[in-house]
Amino acid sequence: MSTTILLGPQRFTTTVGATVRSLGVTGRIAMVNSGWEERESDDAELAGHLDGRGVNLRLHHRMMDVLAKDQHFAAAAVAFRDRMDELRAFYGIRLQAAIDAVHAVAHRTSIHAVGPIAEESAMEAVREVDRWYAAELEELYGSVRATAPLDESGTIGWHRGEIGALLDECEAVVIAGGNVRTLLRTLRVFDVTLRPEQSVVAWSAGAMALTDEVVLFHDFTPHGVAAAELHDRGLGRLPGIVALPHAKRRLLLDGHERMSVLARRFAEHRLLLLDDGAVVRFPDGATELPVGARVIDRTGHVSVVGVA
Amino acid sequence: MERLAVNRLRERLPLDGPTIDRFVERYGCPIIEGERATFLYRGNVDEVWVRHRVVGLPDPLPLKRIGESDLWAVTTVLPEGSRVEYQIEIRKGDHYERFNDPLNPRLAHSPMGSSSVCAAIGYRVPDWVAHDPEARPGTLVEEQVHSKALRRDQPVQIYLPARFNRAQRYPLLVVHDGTDYLQFAAMKTVLDNLIHRLDVDPLVAVFVPPRDRLKEYPNHAPHARFIARELVPLLTERLPLIDTPEARCLMGSSFGGIASLSTAVRYPGFFGSLMLQSASLVFTDIGFDHGGGPAFDPVVKFVNRFREKPSAVVDRLFMSCGVYEPLITPNRSMVPVFRHAGMTVRYTESRDGHNWENWRDRLGDGLAWLFPGPQKFVYE
Repeated sequence: MSTTILLGPQRFTTTVGATVRSLGVTGRIAMVNSGWEERESDDAELAGHLDGRGVNLRLHHRMMDVLAKDQHFAAAAVAFRDRMDELRAFYGIRLQAAIDAVHAVAHRTSIHAVGPIAEESAMEAVREVDRWYAAELEELYGSVRATAPLDESGTIGWHRGEIGALLDECEAVVIAGGNVRTLLRTLRVFDVTLRPEQSVVAWSAGAMALTDEVVLFHDFTPHGVAAAELHDRGLGRLPGIVALPHAKRRLLLDGHERMSVLARRFAEHRLLLLDDGAVVRFPDGATELPVGARVIDRTGHVSVVGVA
Repeated sequence: MERLAVNRLRERLPLDGPTIDRFVERYGCPIIEGERATFLYRGNVDEVWVRHRVVGLPDPLPLKRIGESDLWAVTTVLPEGSRVEYQIEIRKGDHYERFNDPLNPRLAHSPMGSSSVCAAIGYRVPDWVAHDPEARPGTLVEEQVHSKALRRDQPVQIYLPARFNRAQRYPLLVVHDGTDYLQFAAMKTVLDNLIHRLDVDPLVAVFVPPRDRLKEYPNHAPHARFIARELVPLLTERLPLIDTPEARCLMGSSFGGIASLSTAVRYPGFFGSLMLQSASLVFTDIGFDHGGGPAFDPVVKFVNRFREKPSAVVDRLFMSCGVYEPLITPNRSMVPVFRHAGMTVRYTESRDGHNWENWRDRLGDGLAWLFPGPQKFVYE
């Protein structure tokens, strides 16, 4: 089985070249950087880190091509986006109210032990909002599959064939960061399936895309929904992990109560911090977090896997 | 606290020309020392004043001659972060003259002309105001829109954000005094930068200039009809806009704020949000002696009526006002009225006056609140 490696952001601490070399890969390496959107073709620096062996799958470019050539798909894509935006707006309203309730309950003095019960119930209400969103999203995907099946698009089919052939030639895949929504959309439309034997190195949005639940977060965003938001399902190569790139820059890590709510909300998952310089290795198909990985635990503190 | 530079200069009386030259060259004007500003003027005149419109400071603010020299000075308190626009006024015999401070190269511009700028310690021009070569520019398209309501062709400028794509949908921002916002508040550059930084969602803005501002802006039915029943539907038909109230915002400053609010009042629920900057929310609690002159009569009538029966005409309201402008009290007073009516209000104050750079500096906060950008989606 292959190795999967999640890295910290690569903008200031570039480790992707050394990491890929450590895998002993001798063949070609597929590059997925559709999260960079219209800058996707500015990949010379990334290709350089891969010693010139990188093959860009150009998923964003292909998506633009499909939108231009397949009017039926384009209309369905706009309709899907409109509905998803509306769903996200309602989800945001419900979620923020539910999270605010958790904090309000947690701060209320409890003399007769009602507090902890109320808090757990409030947490469950947050999870219920997440479940509602996930179910609605799944329903939305289902309706799009029914009205504009991707398999029936000749243009998409052609691109899928070419992508599949390129992937077959590659020994490893690197997935860069950028806009996680765009990245996931291109991976989904072109049905990019990572081969079990292919090693994968991913960072930032790319790391998020490898998990099963992609969670958006930014505690310092000036406005909008302050709570972390469930966004979509990822490729699921690393189930049970919520990837949190740029954690130091984007999360209020000293706000233990807030972090605890996040950890308890996604209780089935480990909250993995991916800051500059992080290298988290999953060898031989492993999905368990390795010793040394930094996570947010249920108390809201940062802890290190394997350290008591 | 160290003694003020001008007081140290006074110790060296009598002053000769070269000494004053060196002093002015070294310190410039105004001299900012902690939370104090010293204004200077040089010339053989009978009287000199700083003319400003800062509520709380004497206006005019007289300067005093230093010794027998031709240097005049006055020192005033200027709290951290303040920004004041001013001019110098002189009297020579019976002759009065008013002009920008010849010792201060820093100017601000407005439709009324230019003024000198005194920036206190701690004031910074936001870095999203200047052109950023990395920010992809949006496009401004000039058009004439025929308006039955206004019985004329109305010029507008439509801002399309960088990467404008018909496969996306965009919120709409209607900007009153549109030409002035572009010219004096650098609003195209500001939009380009805030969108590039992911602080603000890509949006379409339509910049609408008035023809007869004092008539059309204070609660004028044809103007409101033009905006709500002609302009917005036309743009919604032609551009990929999000066709919901939440995605429609009206903004304006001063009388433009009244134009925004009164249009929303005439078409409640059609717009989701408002951005009111130093809005002329003048009202009276008893009688009608508002002191604003005849131009404010329709404003006061409108605001008084709204205060009698406040209603939530939009969901969200961003308000800003300078603490040095006379409108600060009515603006502060209206915040609880709007909130009580059921609107979510974000209200900010600044140590600034009734001017375009103040409104420019508040755009970042207001637009990011009204149209939060996609920061949560981007993990580079």
